[in-house]
Amino acid sequence: MNQLLQEPTQDGSQRTWFGNVYSAIRSTASGMGVTLRHLFSKPVTLQYPEERPIVDDRYRGVHYLEQDLCIYCDACAKACPIDCIDMEAVRHGKELEWKTFTVDYQKCMHCELCVYPCPKDCIHLGQEITHLAEDRSDLVHELLSYTGLTEEQKVRIAEAEAKKAAKKAALAAKKATEVKEPTEAEDPAETQDAVETENPEEEQKDG
Amino acid sequence: MGIVQFLSDLLPETIPYWALVLLGAGIAFAIIIAFVSVVAIFSVWLERKVAGHIQSRLGPMYVGGWHGWAQSIADGIKLILKEDVILTDADRPLFKLAPCIVLGTALAAFVAVPFAPGVVPADINLGVFFIVAVSSLTTIGVLMAGWGSNNKWSLYGAMREAAQVASYEIPLGLSLMMPVMYFGSFSLSQASEMQAGWGGLHWYIFSDSFWIAIPSFVLFFTAALAETKRAPFDLPESESELVAGFHTEYSGIRFSFFFMEEYAAMYLMSAIGTALWFGGWNFPGLYLLEGTALFTPLAIAVFVVKSMFLVFVMMWVRWTVPRIRIDQVMALGYKYLTPIGLFLVLVASVWEYIKFSMMGV
Ligand code: SF4
Ligand code: SF4
Repeated sequence: MNQLLQEPTQDGSQRTWFGNVYSAIRSTASGMGVTLRHLFSKPVTLQYPEERPIVDDRYRGVHYLEQDLCIYCDACAKACPIDCIDMEAVRHGKELEWKTFTVDYQKCMHCELCVYPCPKDCIHLGQEITHLAEDRSDLVHELLSYTGLTEEQKVRIAEAEAKKAAKKAALAAKKATEVKEPTEAEDPAETQDAVETENPEEEQKDG
Repeated sequence: MGIVQFLSDLLPETIPYWALVLLGAGIAFAIIIAFVSVVAIFSVWLERKVAGHIQSRLGPMYVGGWHGWAQSIADGIKLILKEDVILTDADRPLFKLAPCIVLGTALAAFVAVPFAPGVVPADINLGVFFIVAVSSLTTIGVLMAGWGSNNKWSLYGAMREAAQVASYEIPLGLSLMMPVMYFGSFSLSQASEMQAGWGGLHWYIFSDSFWIAIPSFVLFFTAALAETKRAPFDLPESESELVAGFHTEYSGIRFSFFFMEEYAAMYLMSAIGTALWFGGWNFPGLYLLEGTALFTPLAIAVFVVKSMFLVFVMMWVRWTVPRIRIDQVMALGYKYLTPIGLFLVLVASVWEYIKFSMMGV
């Protein structure tokens, strides 16, 4: 009878029938205490679309670009091991007319290698952690906040152009005087080189 | 007062008795099925919330606004709209009949549940016996589902259910003997009425037999968990081993019948527990309202809240205790619960006899 009531436990020792009853009740009760505590504790989850997790500063999330600093040097795109960065812009002197600057998140592995070579320190991996898309093509993110020229840029370009034109005019005026001067002050002391360099210009002007 | 008597008082005497019985049965059925649906919908939502919070989550939060209260209604609509798949190799009559039998027996058992004084669809004087007998008929439906599905997992689940229910029927019946001996009656409504003393707090669990009531309630509750296939005894549908057990092949509305049956059975067991151990509709201070129009609704509310609390405890146990092995289930049933039940019956009968003969209570 006694043997029937005894069952081997995990450590090989024998536990009595009453010991089994006691341990079953005790372990269930303590387990229910634990779950009761959890029932009234604050949930640890976030209501995701409304709440976003606060990630560490060093977190490598979705890129963001400081567009005004970027100089369109292509260093980031060259550094990227899987060529996810694609950019296109038109230079107007110093100003850039941005067409596109995309990162393809189908490929990007958030390795941050594109960030280090940037001479202007203007591309970063941000805190945004999600890529949600309904279509593959939506995973190609546009990092530019605007494309084309801004009004400011247009003004600056116009200014630069005006300056250039003025410079040109000044140069032309100078040339004109220079062209005249040699006729007055032409002397055999001039070296052959100088003549050679001046000649094409004169030819152009004539043409 | 049963529903038939109520109808015969209300309607002219020319209506034959059988028509009254049929009408009464129809009305009772409609009320019960509406009540069970609401209870099932609420319990599914509650279960998900309890599960969530126990795991430090929130559970459903969106559907319907406040804490996702409409989640299980939405799920129900989804289940009704889904295609009802019947396998080519299935035993069609068995397969189709099984969900109806499972849900039907669970609903039939509700007939004897006393919600308030006079509010009991049929006041059977063998109420306890009737409920236990009828609710264990679900096993037949589960076996039919398992066999009819023509799927080995389903059959395993059904066989486990049969073995489990057959063995836990004994401790369940034994545990119900203690309150029956205390009240001297098998009728649930009579038991509830007898717990009305002390301003509504003379419940069996607080009575002079409390030292028998508490272990017998634990015994009853454990056996009830096994009877209703709830964790830690949810072997018939253990999803890690048997896909979903006996309802693997069911979909759509037939699956929702099994789902409803589970919650109906949980509520039923909790209702028995409430009526026999926790004073039924009695609550301190409620007797002051007796005779007013408020009394019956409040009594029903007290009963429903008490039994919902026991349903909550069942959920609490489910999310605490891991599922046990089939041999452990059998060992627990035959080696532990049955001897404890027999011992308690012996003690309780001696105690009740002493009380009766010495003190004349
Ligand atoms: S993070 Fe890495 S993979 Fe992604 S764009 Fe930068 S260099 Fe390429
Ligand atoms: S390396 Fe920096 S400056 Fe150069 S193109 Fe990329 S983001 Fe712009």
